[in-house]
Amino acid sequence: MTRSNHPEILEKKLSRRDFIKTTVVAAAAVSAGSLGIPTLLKAQPKEIIIGHIHPLSGSLAFDGQELQNGLMLAVKEINAAGGIKSMGGAKLKLLSADSEGKPDLAIKEMERLAGEGAVAVLGCYQSAVTVVATQLAEKLKVPFVVSVAVADEITERGFKYTFRVQPNALQMAQQTIGHLAEIVKASGATVKTIAYLHDDTAFGQSIVGHVDKFAPAQGFEVVIKVPYSPRSPDLTTEVGKIKSAGADLVMATGYFGDGVRAYKTMKDLRVSAKAIVGCANGAYSHPKFVKELGDITEYVMDGNYQANLLIPRTQSAFANYLKDYNTPMGTSTVFAYQGVYVIADALERCKTENREALRDALAKTNLSEHILPQGPIIFGPDGQNVNAAATMMQIQKAEIKVVWPKLFAQAAPVFPVPA
Amino acid sequence: MLSADFILQAVINGILIGGVYSLVAVGLNLIFGVMKIVNFAHGALMMLGMYIAYWSATLLSINPYLSILIVIPLMFVLGAAIQNFLINPIISAPEHNQLLLTLGVSLFLENLALFLWSPDYRVLATPLARINYYIGDLSISLVRVMAFGVSMACSAALFIVLTRTDLGKAIRAASEEREGAILMGINVRRIYFICFGIGAACAGVAGATITPFFPVYPHVGGLFVITAFVVVVLGGMGSFTGAFAGGLIIGVAESIGAIFLPGSMKAIVSFSIFILILLFKPTGIFGGRRG
Repeated sequence: MTRSNHPEILEKKLSRRDFIKTTVVAAAAVSAGSLGIPTLLKAQPKEIIIGHIHPLSGSLAFDGQELQNGLMLAVKEINAAGGIKSMGGAKLKLLSADSEGKPDLAIKEMERLAGEGAVAVLGCYQSAVTVVATQLAEKLKVPFVVSVAVADEITERGFKYTFRVQPNALQMAQQTIGHLAEIVKASGATVKTIAYLHDDTAFGQSIVGHVDKFAPAQGFEVVIKVPYSPRSPDLTTEVGKIKSAGADLVMATGYFGDGVRAYKTMKDLRVSAKAIVGCANGAYSHPKFVKELGDITEYVMDGNYQANLLIPRTQSAFANYLKDYNTPMGTSTVFAYQGVYVIADALERCKTENREALRDALAKTNLSEHILPQGPIIFGPDGQNVNAAATMMQIQKAEIKVVWPKLFAQAAPVFPVPA
Repeated sequence: MLSADFILQAVINGILIGGVYSLVAVGLNLIFGVMKIVNFAHGALMMLGMYIAYWSATLLSINPYLSILIVIPLMFVLGAAIQNFLINPIISAPEHNQLLLTLGVSLFLENLALFLWSPDYRVLATPLARINYYIGDLSISLVRVMAFGVSMACSAALFIVLTRTDLGKAIRAASEEREGAILMGINVRRIYFICFGIGAACAGVAGATITPFFPVYPHVGGLFVITAFVVVVLGGMGSFTGAFAGGLIIGVAESIGAIFLPGSMKAIVSFSIFILILLFKPTGIFGGRRG
């Protein structure tokens, strides 16, 4: 009776009761601590929130969903293996945010994830979106691990909270040309000239710029660079220019849709070269490219990121992915998956949810147990993985095989390509 | 580098893709000419035509060119339904309202496709796409010739309907003088939904004919519809022959333009033509009178 009639008394009573409760708990904790009994916190492992921002809807939804699957798999595996052991087996919890592929939404979502207590955030698949999301993460002092985004500038702005595992445009181009030079040398063939067909967005422009720069050191010369618009329905004239150049090699960079169109046109116009080689090509190392275009894709090469397919660790990750999602793990998804392990490794070492401590731990990363074709994951002062590696792949008997470097190769390269 | 073969190849492929532009533009122009509605959903309708052809080929193993027989009735009914239930209620509203409505339909259809079929790129794997004919160093792809031929045939059939039949007369009457046509006992409302149906079917057929060599995805229509608008303005708004010839002209202009201008810049050629036409002959090359 009195309670319902006098709510203010109830409030007072409650707060007094709360006060007593807190004091008792505190006293208990202090005495427990002094007695050497494990603290109450340890009894129930807490959850550590990791956020991610990807295009989960909109025109890139397919890619975004795949990356999210990779993140979920890594979280599931880590939790099943006992969580973050140095933090009493604390479990990871994934908090999703949809960028819809738009930079402005990514900013809003970055703010939300930070507000909801994410210790670190992964993202964003598109370079333009990642550029702005990392900027805000820097301001909010939230460690940001790039899942996929190739633009060099992401790690060139002196940011302390941005880390990237995948090879950037520079590493991708430099290593592709390096692998190519070694393959050419091993084959005994002579290659001097390269004709380059590329999309004219920031993606294609930056890759071709680097290739142009690194080619002469390997004895190659890019004799013609033909840009095309990915929105152009017909690429006959552009491919015609490549054909007229008559170079030893044809190289190509682009996204999936235009990559398919450009390749089909090359075959229609009978472009002949010692090989057609992609660099970070969105089509050439995509299983769908092989499946849908069939045997005309045989022997196409692509210098791109990929997992180290030879080790059991990768094979088990791929098998788990196939089991959970009933589709093979894509090459981009590999980097989302690996990103969670990089954060988990840093948490294991810093033993706290404090973001600054986590940043420092990430900066000191030296992770040898991973699924990538490279040495240990170590971040340079700019946050870029210094050992990030691209491998050369080739379509052989309708399968995409890693052919170079030899250490990670599943098959030997076929070069020059039989006519 | 500018060998005769190279330029000839550019012209041939320009004409072949231009035939497809023509059919898209003819449909767009029919809708505009008769109803004075700028149909922003035209690209989305084309995309649906591509999906119908794709699914008929993959699920029902129907030859992609035979699937046009499915595309035409389905797209006709869809177009007629859009006209009857969505556009008709606001047919006398200001033009920008109608514009927003067709834009809304376009967004709806594209997102529906995203939802139903995912943003995945789908490539129709047909052995026909492998067949190329070679004359010296020139290459002519069978599927492109088929796309051109089917588009031409559809445009021609539509032209005959418009010029030789009573329905065609009624359509032309409704387009030229709406009130007059009503007074002559023509059911203009019926003509309208027939026209929108035909326009949608044209977009659908154009989509179906390119499916054997063009990846299908929900936003694919956007690649063609802007070009189609340029074609319509070039040929003359409401002019059938204008849209038809304009498609071929733009196809060749883009192809030749790419010889001199790199990448996205090749679009400068068609858009320059667009601006010049608007400045100096706003009725279009083949548009005699202003509607």
